[in-house]
Amino acid sequence: MRLLNRLALHLATLVAVVLAGGFLAAALVRYSPGFDSIPEDLNTALSPETLQALHARYNRENSLPRFYVRYLGGALRGDFGVSQSFGQPVALLLRQRAPATGRLVIWGTLGGWTLAALLAWTAVWLRRSVLTAAAASVSGLLLAIPPAVLALAFFFYQAPLGLALSLGLLPRLFGTLRAILEECHASPALLAARARGIGPLRIGVCYVAGAAAPQLLALLGIAIVLAFGLAIPIETLCGVPGMGALTVQAATARDMPLLCALALMITFLVTFVHAAGDLAAGDERA
Amino acid sequence: MRIAAVIVLLAVLLAGLFAPAIAPYDYSRQFRDSPNAPASSQFPMGTDDLGRDRLSRLIYATRISVLLAPAAAFVSVMIALLLSAVTATRRLWVEHSFSALTTLSLSLPWIFLFIILRALLPLNTGAIPSILITFGLMGVAGWAWPGRVFTASIRQMKKSGWLLQARAAGVPPWRIARIWAWPRLRALAAAQFRILIPAYVLSEASLGLLGFGVAEPLPSWGNLLAELQHPARVRDNPWILAPLGLLMLVMIALEALQPSRDSRQLPGAAS
Repeated sequence: MRLLNRLALHLATLVAVVLAGGFLAAALVRYSPGFDSIPEDLNTALSPETLQALHARYNRENSLPRFYVRYLGGALRGDFGVSQSFGQPVALLLRQRAPATGRLVIWGTLGGWTLAALLAWTAVWLRRSVLTAAAASVSGLLLAIPPAVLALAFFFYQAPLGLALSLGLLPRLFGTLRAILEECHASPALLAARARGIGPLRIGVCYVAGAAAPQLLALLGIAIVLAFGLAIPIETLCGVPGMGALTVQAATARDMPLLCALALMITFLVTFVHAAGDLAAGDERA
Repeated sequence: MRIAAVIVLLAVLLAGLFAPAIAPYDYSRQFRDSPNAPASSQFPMGTDDLGRDRLSRLIYATRISVLLAPAAAFVSVMIALLLSAVTATRRLWVEHSFSALTTLSLSLPWIFLFIILRALLPLNTGAIPSILITFGLMGVAGWAWPGRVFTASIRQMKKSGWLLQARAAGVPPWRIARIWAWPRLRALAAAQFRILIPAYVLSEASLGLLGFGVAEPLPSWGNLLAELQHPARVRDNPWILAPLGLLMLVMIALEALQPSRDSRQLPGAAS
């Protein structure tokens, strides 16, 4: 029953956030420059009164509430309109670009997560001041480099861009992972396990991963959001045909239908990932 | 480590403040006979492709990046503090609406949100408006994280015994806010302010690389880093890497001065 309640709450949040995101998206498109222009504006034979009447009718038909309902209805059917800069259906552009971003984000998140966990493990478990300082220094150094610069270096040396994203993500996860591991390391259950001579691998799988699973899952949701944010400059500067590069192209061309569809889709995905992480974490806690 | 960080930041801050006195030339002065000149006694870091002295541009860029990031962080913290204080003292539905708005803002990756907002404004702005737009938008768009922290803190305060006791004793709300609530929030606000500064320095650099930051001819660390997109130039003149080196130095110094992990409440300062 508690699970059902939580599920309902997350579903309601998801719907509310997407509806609010959709409203903002529709408002941006509705009030974007040039939206109030009609083809008849170019017809010199029409009198100013006629044009005024036509504009009044156009504005009535495209008032924000009506426009929002139409936009959302179209979005639910997968119709996000036509891109102004590409002249193609927005849905088609999103379908073409999503796989490249998906691959980059998934590999980047996996790599960043693994590297950050290894570094945090080194800092917490080995308990050597030199290693702890080295792990913190590596993380601090990577945090000081803009991810876009890191990506450029990887691009010029033809190294995998997923690794650049991983290295950009690493310092942003390291601090939290280290805190989680320190909490586990200090727990009485783990102290007892170590006193009984249980090996580090078994401790890691049975005690640490089990005990910290809720926090780790919640952090995974945050990691995916961060990875998408990092993917935008990486894709743009390194010529990856993904959604990050598409976002920048849409912004530069002020292509509002495309920009709003991207915002709506990303809001949905991010809220969904957060909700899934929270639900899974809640299950572990229960 | 902290003393060294303070010294580095003070030196950079002073260089930024007194840029016109320190820089050998004006940031926009062109030496048309010496484009892409190598490092020399006249141009210690060489010149760019328009014949502008790199050292002078770096000093002026420091002024913009280092002085305006704290200003944007201050705006974010003030907006967050104001919104949290106003909504937390109103009815429950107002607090819930604010929480939903925070969730919506945090749902979008920060850089994505910024790009959308930036696209609504003219892209071909002048140099000074571009600075105000870049750092102003950072300040306005970055309220959500501190807002969530302040709201949680105010909610915790509202449930505390001392507040109940103070209210029962008839202490007026403004006095409760001034004597009890503000000192606690002030400490949190200072911590959030320090967290946001490196985040904004790094964000400006990323936005400059993408062409959404401060517009030419004004230099900023972001638009100076854009030259890194030409590896051949970097090979010819490694001084092009100087802005990156300075940025990293400042970021490491800022990180060394960060508050303890407990008061951060978010994973990784800069995103």
